[in-house]
Amino acid sequence: MSERSNEDWLTSLRSSGKAKQGALADLREIILNSLPYALSKYLHPTNPHFDPLIQEVAQETLLRVMDRLETFEGRSKFTTWVHTISVRIALTELRRARWKEVSLDELQNGMDSDDKMREMPDQDMDVEASAEQSEIMAMIQKTMMEILTEKQRKALMAVAVRGMPIAEVADRMGSNRNALYKLLHDARLKLKNHFDEQGMTPENILSSFEK
Amino acid sequence: MKWLKRLFRSKKTAKPEKKMAMTSDQAEKMLRMIEHTQAEELSCDEVFDLLDVYAEMAARGEDVGELYPLVEHHLEMCPDCREEYEAVMRILEQRTE
Repeated sequence: MSERSNEDWLTSLRSSGKAKQGALADLREIILNSLPYALSKYLHPTNPHFDPLIQEVAQETLLRVMDRLETFEGRSKFTTWVHTISVRIALTELRRARWKEVSLDELQNGMDSDDKMREMPDQDMDVEASAEQSEIMAMIQKTMMEILTEKQRKALMAVAVRGMPIAEVADRMGSNRNALYKLLHDARLKLKNHFDEQGMTPENILSSFEK
Repeated sequence: MKWLKRLFRSKKTAKPEKKMAMTSDQAEKMLRMIEHTQAEELSCDEVFDLLDVYAEMAARGEDVGELYPLVEHHLEMCPDCREEYEAVMRILEQRTE
């Protein structure tokens, strides 16, 4: 398969008949050959889920590419633009599968006032430094309780602490990825401004963790 | 520690105090995110629209932080977008992880 220029791709995909079918077939092959690299961190090609996943992703990618063809601005290679779409689709699907059994409420476990903070003692830290760090963490959490709305706190804990994907948190909150990112941004900014108003920076507080 | 206690002096509040389980590593990670928060940040969609250009520049070894600082910043703050960028880079560089 010889390499096509951006113009070749666009001309063929905008046409009909054999030219269009040929371009779609070539694009499909490029996507299928590229996804193993993209997904290598998450799924090995020998995994039985691998092939069905990339077939599904390739199909969905072609549909989305055709749907958005006129938004391609030509600032990159056409295939690079296609790769961003296929990766978005593939990782969204992987995240959905990975987190489907996990609810937001589960991630908030440990929020009851009677629960003690789960903390593994740092064996290299002396007792005084460890106690200081525990006190700082308790104060951070207290600040979050006072400064943030419940929604902000839930989202921040889920994403920043528990590592839940933003898209998954958004889905559970009846929101979308952009809106959730904005919610998180507002929460972070609130906390940062609060520290600034108190004359302290997170950097100063962080220095306590570096002892 | 006195300065820290002054900083976090509790206000009278009707809310019952609840504790969130967090390790020191997680607290540190959160503080770093707060520290690096900027007033203006791009959305995930805005970054997605630039990801093809940004990734190609990075693959060519160009200083993407200089050319697209807001995109770079978003990728530092958004784990989802960061993962997608790294996956695209693996494709462009034809490498596995």
